[in-house]
Amino acid sequence: MADDGDLAGPARRARTRWADVRRHWHFYVFISPFFILFAVFGLYPMLFSLYLAFVKWDGLTGMTWVGLANFATMLEDEILATSLWNTLVIGLLYVPPMMVLAFLFALALNVPWLKMRGAFRSAFFLPCVTPMVVIAIVFGLLYSPERGLLNYTIGRIGLDPIPWLNSEAWSKVAVAILVVWRWTGYNMVLMLAGLQGIPHEYYEAAKVDGAGAWQRVRHITVPLMRPTFLFCGLLSLLGTVYMFDEVFVLTRGGPGISSTNFGLYLFNISFGDFRFGYASSVAYTVALAVFVIALAATRRGRASPDEGEGGA
Amino acid sequence: MRHRIKTAAGKLSLYVVLAGLALVFLVPFYWLAISAFKSQGQIFSTPPQWVPSPWQWSNFEDIYRETNIVRAFLNSCVIAVGHVTLSLFLCSLGGYAFAKYPNAPGGRKLFAFVLGTMMIPGAVTLIPTFVILMKLQMVNTWWAMIVPGAANAFGIFWMRQYIAAHVPNDLLHAARIDGCSEFGIYWRVALPIARPALAALGIMLLIGTWNNLMMAFLLLRTKDMQTLPLLIYLLQGETRTPFGMLMAGGLLTVVPMVVAFLVFQRQFIAGITSGAIKA
Repeated sequence: MADDGDLAGPARRARTRWADVRRHWHFYVFISPFFILFAVFGLYPMLFSLYLAFVKWDGLTGMTWVGLANFATMLEDEILATSLWNTLVIGLLYVPPMMVLAFLFALALNVPWLKMRGAFRSAFFLPCVTPMVVIAIVFGLLYSPERGLLNYTIGRIGLDPIPWLNSEAWSKVAVAILVVWRWTGYNMVLMLAGLQGIPHEYYEAAKVDGAGAWQRVRHITVPLMRPTFLFCGLLSLLGTVYMFDEVFVLTRGGPGISSTNFGLYLFNISFGDFRFGYASSVAYTVALAVFVIALAATRRGRASPDEGEGGA
Repeated sequence: MRHRIKTAAGKLSLYVVLAGLALVFLVPFYWLAISAFKSQGQIFSTPPQWVPSPWQWSNFEDIYRETNIVRAFLNSCVIAVGHVTLSLFLCSLGGYAFAKYPNAPGGRKLFAFVLGTMMIPGAVTLIPTFVILMKLQMVNTWWAMIVPGAANAFGIFWMRQYIAAHVPNDLLHAARIDGCSEFGIYWRVALPIARPALAALGIMLLIGTWNNLMMAFLLLRTKDMQTLPLLIYLLQGETRTPFGMLMAGGLLTVVPMVVAFLVFQRQFIAGITSGAIKA
């Protein structure tokens, strides 16, 4: 332990607690900036928006206490329901391919004889360090209906052009492709770290027992990677619910509201409609729901580490 | 290990597949780069031009002439440097305290509290934060982008772990015996040793701040305060979007982050994977 690093050592333990606090005044000064900033930009906003959840307020005129009316409104808010549905659909469209791709990339980059590992890793990872606004506009070009690179290529194969951004059915797919492109590398890097944490002996032992490459992946790698998959899954859950830049720039949630996810919906009712009270009640409710889902997933993921093989 | 592809053909095919996929992943970057050198007509030509012919420089001239891109670049730089510097200072100071004063009463509980704050989603605090920044008259200033996230829990956690593992207590003792002040020990002894951790945290913060669109959109109201992402966002949406100019501006926005990433990628990747290893 780092106990000896302390100011005075254990000799004067008998002192009162208050004297102890005073003796460590540096500690409190050093951590105070966090707590001051957290009080102003974290704790106070949390309490404030909890209060706002029960009022009607446009940010300018006076607040009106409405009790639970905001929560009742939520039940009948079809746009909210649609945005949650869209969030689910977009998530289902992109999370499975992204996870599989990230896992395959990680396996490939973890092959011991592979050269130029750094170059490959950079190529796959680069998308997630670039400003989304720029990339979404580039994707807008690639998706453009007649002259975009994507539809041109599709046409050359002999298929009909796809109305990526102009159709309610395809807009979610367009968003999903952008998200896969952007976040696969990030998940790959997380999974690569997970793979490197698996002891070599396990594989050696399995090989001695005659297990083939596929069996080793299925019975050693996948089960031991469960915590990493879980972590990636939780990040994706949060990422999908609160995703903003991607839809805000690429589709603006459209056509109609076909690609409006929860993050964009919340932004719209907050800063488009200035329904600060209602938005707060929605934000709190969904945050709580997401928290419960994440907690349940974590519990389940931790409870059965060796059971069930379908970890991916 | 698990892919014991022994034959040369097997090895080669893995390279081919990886290289092919890497190229697909790089297409949007390539398209951005070459579109910056195309006219509007060339951008929408059929078949698409993989190499601009002729190369156009006018997009860069246009964006320089028609928008305040130099000012936006400056704003982006000031906000990025300000936010990263302030965050690194506050997070390393807090992290140092949590790592090296283990006997301070309440230290453990306070640290657990700091970690707990990581679970608060930004969506819940967004509206009040906006209202507070209005009240503090910070809207439309650099400060609105620099201060609010400056002391973040992840940063403190990250710095604490590194300092606890890498800064020897004997060194701190020696400095104390030599009469160094507590702040002096942090500043002159611990901080230089923690440089790799600072680099990792710095690059993560830099990329997050530089790319931030939502807060810039909400908080920066006048043209002279715009950051690069905001300027680019607002450039579209008028009747006819000047894609060439957008791509030129986009290139100027993307390149600094690509360079920063390539220089600091080891630290950056160490930073983002720390959470996964813990989980």
